Amino acid sequence: MLLCEWLEQIPWIVTITNSAVLISLVWLIHYLGFFLLVGTTAVVDLRVLGAAARNLKLAPLAGQLFPLTWIGLGLVIASGFIMFAGQATTFYPTAVFRIKMGMVLLALLFGMIVQRNLPVWDRAPSVPAAAKWIAFASLTLWIGAILAGLEVAAFIPGI
Amino acid sequence: MHSWLVGICDRLQNIRLVVWLVTAQYAYPFIQWTHLTGLSLWLGTTLALDFRLVGAGKRFQTAAQLSDALFSWNWLGLGIAVLGGFTLFATAAVGYIDNPAFRLKLGVLLPLALTWHIFVQQKSRTWGRTPETPAVAKLAGLMEIVLWVSVAAAAVWIPNY
Repeated sequence: MLLCEWLEQIPWIVTITNSAVLISLVWLIHYLGFFLLVGTTAVVDLRVLGAAARNLKLAPLAGQLFPLTWIGLGLVIASGFIMFAGQATTFYPTAVFRIKMGMVLLALLFGMIVQRNLPVWDRAPSVPAAAKWIAFASLTLWIGAILAGLEVAAFIPGI
Repeated sequence: MHSWLVGICDRLQNIRLVVWLVTAQYAYPFIQWTHLTGLSLWLGTTLALDFRLVGAGKRFQTAAQLSDALFSWNWLGLGIAVLGGFTLFATAAVGYIDNPAFRLKLGVLLPLALTWHIFVQQKSRTWGRTPETPAVAKLAGLMEIVLWVSVAAAAVWIPNY
């Protein structure tokens, strides 16, 4: 909590938080970041599940999309940090916010499992059942994280 | 013309289901969620093709193959986004139609970006036959990225009015 108070008082954080233009820019980056992050992850997950892009092999599709996933993650973390820091003492104790962060971390973990195992799954004659469960979990967690994020905004007035 | 439009918007936001969505606790974020989940799918796939046209990931597959692979999920994403977006609009329709940022988004930027998207998606079949895309494809892809970023920027600015 002491750390949260300190974060809220960092001069450049205060400047951004109090400027309508700058904080809107941060929100814009957060939105664009998670569109890239969630959109590209979802396509890879759907491909593992056999529901999307069946004309392409898994590994080249993922090779194309993963760099965008990582760019999206970078944008989301940078902008998310500024959004959090500006009202850290409000965010930190809020249960919905903690639930959201938990879902994001879990989703990232599942995403990394998918990324690591892709070459193996791609060489197998058919995608293993376990892989499909992991992809399904990743997809569900990301969609859940978006909802949790919006509930955070609804719970904390003024953001 | 304008008062006629306001009349429709007024009726829209007074539909019992719409009123319920605004007043019920926890309901409103679900509408935003529909909009943003759809947008993730729509923009994730759209921007992926744009970056491929610009020249990212040449060694993996051609832009034509990628465009073909993403096509149905791309449009499904837009469908979900429009469903959520229309419901969001309905919850405060009278306010939205007078909001300059909303008007810029819906009246100018979105039609432009959508038209450009359809054009780029069609053209990607010919531009994307070989791993190296022509200069015009790179420019078109870049243009589309700029257009969607500006649509999102206008949307983010809506609450500031």
